[in-house]
Amino acid sequence: VSREPNGPAERSMRDATFEARLENLAAMRRFVEEACRSAGMDASACSELKLAVDEACTNIIEHGYRDGAGPIAVTCESDGERMRVVIRDRGAAFDPGSVPAADVTSGWEDRPVGGLGWHLIRQSVDEIDYEREPSGGNRLTLVKRSRPWRSE
Amino acid sequence: MEIRVEQRAQVTVIAVAGSVDGATAPALVASFRERVGEGCIRIVGDFSGVDYTSSAGLRALLETAKEARQRGGDLRLSAVQPDVRRVLDLAGFTHILKVFADTDEAVASYSAARS
Repeated sequence: VSREPNGPAERSMRDATFEARLENLAAMRRFVEEACRSAGMDASACSELKLAVDEACTNIIEHGYRDGAGPIAVTCESDGERMRVVIRDRGAAFDPGSVPAADVTSGWEDRPVGGLGWHLIRQSVDEIDYEREPSGGNRLTLVKRSRPWRSE
Repeated sequence: MEIRVEQRAQVTVIAVAGSVDGATAPALVASFRERVGEGCIRIVGDFSGVDYTSSAGLRALLETAKEARQRGGDLRLSAVQPDVRRVLDLAGFTHILKVFADTDEAVASYSAARS
């Protein structure tokens, strides 16, 4: 597959709503993968974006909807260069800016178990934006740039 | 996700296949914990069939490595695929877990230089 350097950007948009259950994480990853594939995104960027979406949705399921279930709406929008994933839920308010940095350097004895989800999200996408919606939901936007195509 | 357990002399090989995420990691933790509880503390996690892990899988690995090491054993990994390797690297796990290119090598590492 090749793309002309100055060719028109391929625009595409898909959305889906999932019930906030851990069993649906695989379906959420598949949804993101299909969106990436149809947008022509490279495989490693797609893997990284899938991980970030999985971690964000896991947090929503385990913390946002701690006291019950609810919907998670996912929108994938590509302009041919970047994939923008918007994740909306109606769970408890949560600001990713408040998450402390993860410990990724201590020895095994002192390394805490867990707390790596947001670290992986930050390492896997290019932009993160969070908004508490006036109507009471959370809106998290993750943006991933596709890497340039190589000629070989 | 599928888990297959095989005993090779002193070493327990736990071969995992599929995706490890928040939904499947509890079964992995339970399988690791069961072995360690039985005294199988020299474990190799054969990850050749694992195409994906989230932080839920990392949690399972660190928890198991701690339990095994506190009893004088270890959890070592083999045949980790590139996407999974990347997650281990990002989390700084390649500094605290031994990762081998293949399972035979990981099994053999337990009989070489036992400290």
